[in-house]
Amino acid sequence: MNGVLTVAKREIFAFFVSPIAYVVLTVWLLFFGIVFYILALVFAQQAGASETNLLTAFFGGTTLFYLPLLVFAPVMTMRLLAEERASGTIEPLLTAPISETEVVLGKYIAALTFWCVLWAPTLSYVWLVASSGEHVVDWGAIGTTYLGLFSIGAFYMAVGLFMSAIARNQIVAAMLTFLVLGGLFVIGLAGYANVGDDVRAIFEYVGLWTQMSAFAKGIVDTRYLVYDLTVVILSLYLSVQALQTDRGA
Amino acid sequence: MIEVENLTRQYGDRTAVNGISFAVRKGEIIGFLGPNGAGKSTTLRMLTGYLQPTDGAIRVGGVDAVRDPIGARRFIGYLPESVPLYKEMRVEEYLRYRARLKGVARAQVAARIDHVLAQADIRDVRQRIIGQLSKGYRSRVGLADALVADPPLLVLDEPTAGLDPNQIRQVRDLIRSMAGEKTIMLSTHILPEVESTCSRVLIINKGRLVGEGAPNALRTSGTGGQVIVLEARGTRAELEQRALQVQGVRRLLDVEQLEADLLRLRLEIESVAAAEALSLALAQGGHAIRELRREQTSLEDVFTLLTTREAAEAKAEGT
Repeated sequence: MNGVLTVAKREIFAFFVSPIAYVVLTVWLLFFGIVFYILALVFAQQAGASETNLLTAFFGGTTLFYLPLLVFAPVMTMRLLAEERASGTIEPLLTAPISETEVVLGKYIAALTFWCVLWAPTLSYVWLVASSGEHVVDWGAIGTTYLGLFSIGAFYMAVGLFMSAIARNQIVAAMLTFLVLGGLFVIGLAGYANVGDDVRAIFEYVGLWTQMSAFAKGIVDTRYLVYDLTVVILSLYLSVQALQTDRGA
Repeated sequence: MIEVENLTRQYGDRTAVNGISFAVRKGEIIGFLGPNGAGKSTTLRMLTGYLQPTDGAIRVGGVDAVRDPIGARRFIGYLPESVPLYKEMRVEEYLRYRARLKGVARAQVAARIDHVLAQADIRDVRQRIIGQLSKGYRSRVGLADALVADPPLLVLDEPTAGLDPNQIRQVRDLIRSMAGEKTIMLSTHILPEVESTCSRVLIINKGRLVGEGAPNALRTSGTGGQVIVLEARGTRAELEQRALQVQGVRRLLDVEQLEADLLRLRLEIESVAAAEALSLALAQGGHAIRELRREQTSLEDVFTLLTTREAAEAKAEGT
């Protein structure tokens, strides 16, 4: 497992010396800062009128939460393995005495770390709301919110890693990831079409559409966790298979 | 150190390596020779575990590389052909990363890096970013990477490609300095490189092994015959006729008129016995022999002959 950490460490290093990391971080913080600002204004105008609170709305109440993820998740994961393949560095990597599984896990841990770094600044919003005294902060709900965020991140990063494992270059990897995640998102949207309640529930579940709103309210719905974990394991397994297939026989 | 049996690799319909077998003993420096596209890199990539063979067996340091690829890779320091490196890293960072990846103990990493930086003569760029280095420096960073875990076997795919003459000499000196201590397998299409560094040569063409032996042995035996140079007195017609009648003389390669009745003939013969018979035959015929010597075939000739023979034969059959 020494290989996992070594690969993860290098990958995180590579993220943070690349301009992509800073572009993503900047735009990300700007975007969510604006969303938070607008929501705060709305809640200030209708103080007490709403049943949901500001933080619940911010983390799960709007489509604005998912849209940037669909753009940034592919950008964050596209280089993981596709770049190694395009530049040829995959050859020294795969001839080192480590397994494909170690390579995939290392890359995955790096992507998840970057995901967590992206969300860390939002803790300051929580602090802001708590210190304003205007809202009651439900710390249990905050905990489940971040659990939900982590779980969605685990899902998105795993899909992105797999697409990067099968793509010839970064652009293709990003497009594939966007197609899969965007496709799932659209399936979730389809739940709003005129379909039966049962079908809608399935669509929303598969599209992750309702996951954040549940977790942001403090509800830990283990079905989502099981779904996310299943996709993570499947994606990582297929990534390992993709690397092995590259060696051919 | 390496045992390869019936190694085959196909890419779709194309067979890049076709049933080659060879063995490399500990401490040997093997030159792997062949024209571009002969299957050198594919073979080395299978040895190092980057590619899986379609068929055949590979043992590295006694470990079955197909069944236990990770175990086999521990023996190997590999320099891939195009020397792919992470351009955003500094030389020392890269080597530290590679050392850890190859399982060098944390406490020994710094000492190993110092050692290989000195070996590859790149101490002056240890803090430079790899992407900013010249090709010569990059390939020596790749060489330092191959050496960093102190593996008993080095597999170097065209280690001197893209280097200037001074750097080439340095790399050759480095390779020679490790003779006996490490087993080295290097591929190249530069012949002097083989003559100056390798103890044994494998020649590959179109995925098949077409020649094997020490550079010197190959030079004499590779063609299956030898060339002798004869200077003798007589007319051209007489000398040619007599020489070609001798058993074991295959053909006349070329003739040069030195003086009115002094000729220089280049003849291909089957073995040295033919040279002796020739000298007797000429003496009996009253032709004074001024010189009779074996011509050293250059490795280039052997190489050209071995790698074009198939095509030439096919052509001959066709006509």
